[in-house]
Parts: sequence; structure tokens; C-alpha cells
Amino acid sequence: MAAYTLQTNGSVCPFPLIDAKSAMEQLTTGDDLIIDFDCTQATDSLPQWASEAGHEVVAFDRTGEAGWTITVRKGA
Amino acid sequence: MILTGLLLGAVLGYVLQRSRFCVTGAFRDLYLTRSTRYFTPFLLAIAIQAVGVAALAGVGVIAPEPASFAPLAVIGGGLIFGVGIIMAGGCATGTYYRAGEGLIGSWVALIFYALFAAVMKYGPLGGFTEAARARTVADATLHETLGVSVWVPVIAFSAIVAVLVVRERRRATARPSLRLPARRTGLGHYLADIPWSPWVGGVLLGLIAIAAWVLSTAAGRNGGLGITTPSAKIATFLTTGDVTLVDWSVMLVLGILVGSFLAAKLSGEFRWRVPDAQTMLRSAGGGVAMGVGAALAGGCTIGNSLVETSLFSYQGWVSLVAIMLGTWGAAWFFLQRPQRAAEASRPAPVLTPAS
Repeated sequence: MAAYTLQTNGSVCPFPLIDAKSAMEQLTTGDDLIIDFDCTQATDSLPQWASEAGHEVVAFDRTGEAGWTITVRKGA
Repeated sequence: MILTGLLLGAVLGYVLQRSRFCVTGAFRDLYLTRSTRYFTPFLLAIAIQAVGVAALAGVGVIAPEPASFAPLAVIGGGLIFGVGIIMAGGCATGTYYRAGEGLIGSWVALIFYALFAAVMKYGPLGGFTEAARARTVADATLHETLGVSVWVPVIAFSAIVAVLVVRERRRATARPSLRLPARRTGLGHYLADIPWSPWVGGVLLGLIAIAAWVLSTAAGRNGGLGITTPSAKIATFLTTGDVTLVDWSVMLVLGILVGSFLAAKLSGEFRWRVPDAQTMLRSAGGGVAMGVGAALAGGCTIGNSLVETSLFSYQGWVSLVAIMLGTWGAAWFFLQRPQRAAEASRPAPVLTPAS
């Protein structure tokens, strides 16, 4: 299963979520999408979207002051 | 006693930052994702404030004066404001608390918002704003038209909100399987570590709005939470030195910056963040539209959509709908359309294989 990185640092909400959704469409089931972001609201909207869309959050952590990374595994 | 404004503003900024409360997002996501995740808690904040204000007015602690209704100015201004907050990425309070989080784009939006609110209220376009807002119709409030006590709309609206809240709470939404690892223990874990839910944000926002009426009245300003007029006053004070402009509401908005900075700093969420040139330009344009729109409509998502609505004034509810429609139109134009068009103005997201 492949893993891909989506760098969204510097873009404000809701763009990280919009980009994550369109990136996810390019992936196949079981692939990991690693999203780096620095928009605070996305700490809520990204995991919420992932769980509602049937994807699995396999990693979620801070990368420093006001920086985060989340890994979403594409669901069926 | 205008310093109570600074204190309450700081509490407001802290709550907004921790709960990621975003009225722009609440309105926008009704359209974009059909989500009521933040919209229902926002309605709950209106209902809480409506009950509190009606009770306090009933016993004579405060004496709210709902705004007269100028349909054209309120609808036009609301639409312009709605477009502006999508461009700026946050409403007036949202822009204040994101500025406190260190977002340079929000500072740009904030400066243009305050400047153009001042232009429209105290500057060269003051006459135009006054003329537009003078075209009023007979009744100011819903209960005035119906000839009933304010408690009739308060109770009816609260009942509707109660049903919506129960439905929202019962809806079995999938919960994220993973949360951010804890960095603090004990009280600090709740105050400056885990994000607060939209419900906590909505309830506290309603209570803060009630407190604002009491504290502002005690400081000689008859009003509740307000963002646009104080922003215009700050810009005008800074350029004229007229110290009489510095009142409770000016302290309130400055407090939002302080509170959200503290919340972000303590939670490891503060950093100066510089957007690209296009985002910066869009923020500036959004700020202009916010200042112009809010001045015409007589308030922003707080002054109108949260405070005037709780008084059941036509200005409050009509502008809430107008702002919402503005955000929907702008969400389509700025968010959906470029996404759907192949030649999007933003480059497509670049995927690189992780090593």
C-alpha cells in the first residue's frame, strides 16, 4: 500500500480540507494520505471528515508550534 | 469600568480559539457539506442569550433597544458582508481571534475591515451609510408586529432550538478514531490542550453575550456584544486622537486579540503564519467588503446574527439570512467553482511518494 504526502502548510481553512478531499480521490483503498497542515480549524475538520467519509485516521500528531500532521488511510 | 470589556473580550477570544468556533464556517458548511456541526450550536447561543436578555430586561437590569429596520441597507450590507467573510476566511470575531493566533492574512483582513468600517461610519461615506440606514419601515421587531410580549418569540425559538439540539446530539456521527496525544494533565489538559467541542463554544458564547449586556450597560454603553462599531472607532481614534471614542466595546475587541493569543500560546498553537500573495490579496478584499457590508447592515455575524437576533429584531434575522446567502454564493464562486474547473486559480495539490 502506497503512502503519499500532501503539504498544505500556509493555506487557510477550508483549503486543507478541500485539497485533502481531492487528493484522496486519486488514491486507492488502503493507501495512506499524510497531510501536513498549520490551519488550527483543520485539527477539527480533517479528522471529522475522515471518520464521516469512512476513512481511518492512523496517525495524528503535532509537528511543532501550530503545526500538525495527520495520516488518513483510505476506506473502501 | 470599561476595563470589564477587556476582560470579557479576553474570555471570548479564549473560548473562540479553544472551540475553533467559526460563524463563517457554520454558515458556509450548511451549503458546502450540509453540515450543522457549528450552525446548531450557534443557534443555541442565540437562544441562551435571548432567554437571558429577556429575563434581565424584564427585571430592569438592562434596557435593550432593537435597531430600526432599513430593509435595503440590511439586505445589501448582509450580502456584501457574507461574501467578504468567505474571502477573508473568517467573520469579524473569527478574524480577530485568528489574528491572535498569528495569522498574517487575518491581520490584513482586520486592518481593511476596521478602516472601511470607519470610512463608512465616520469617514467620507458616513452620509451615504446614514441615508441608506434612514430608509426604515414601521416595525423594528417581530413581537411588535404581532403585538405580543417578547417572551412569545423567545419561547417559540427556544423550543425550535431545543428540538434541533436533541436531533443533532442523537445523530450517530462517526467519531474520529484518533485524537491528538495529550501534552498536559489535570486542569491544564482541559484549559489549554484538548480542543473544546462546538457545544461548549456555543453555550459559553451565549453566556458571554448575556454578560456583555450587563457589563456594557454598567459601563454606560447600552448594548451587547459588538465588533464593527468598535473596530471603526479604533481606526478613527488612531487617526484623530479623539479619546472619547475609546469605550467598553473598544476594550472588548482588543480583549479578543489578547484572549485568543493566550489560548493559542498556552496550547502550542501560536505561530506567525504568512500566506501566499493571492490569499493575502483576497483577505484584503474580504476586509473591505466586511467593513462596507457590516456598516450598511448595522452589524456583523455578532452584532446582527447573534445579538440583534436574540432581540427578535428584523434587522437581526434578515441580515442573518442575507449574510448566509452571501457566504453560499461566495463559497460557490471562490471554493467550489475553481475546484470544479480544471484551470483552477490555485495549483492542484501535489502528491509526493513518502520515503
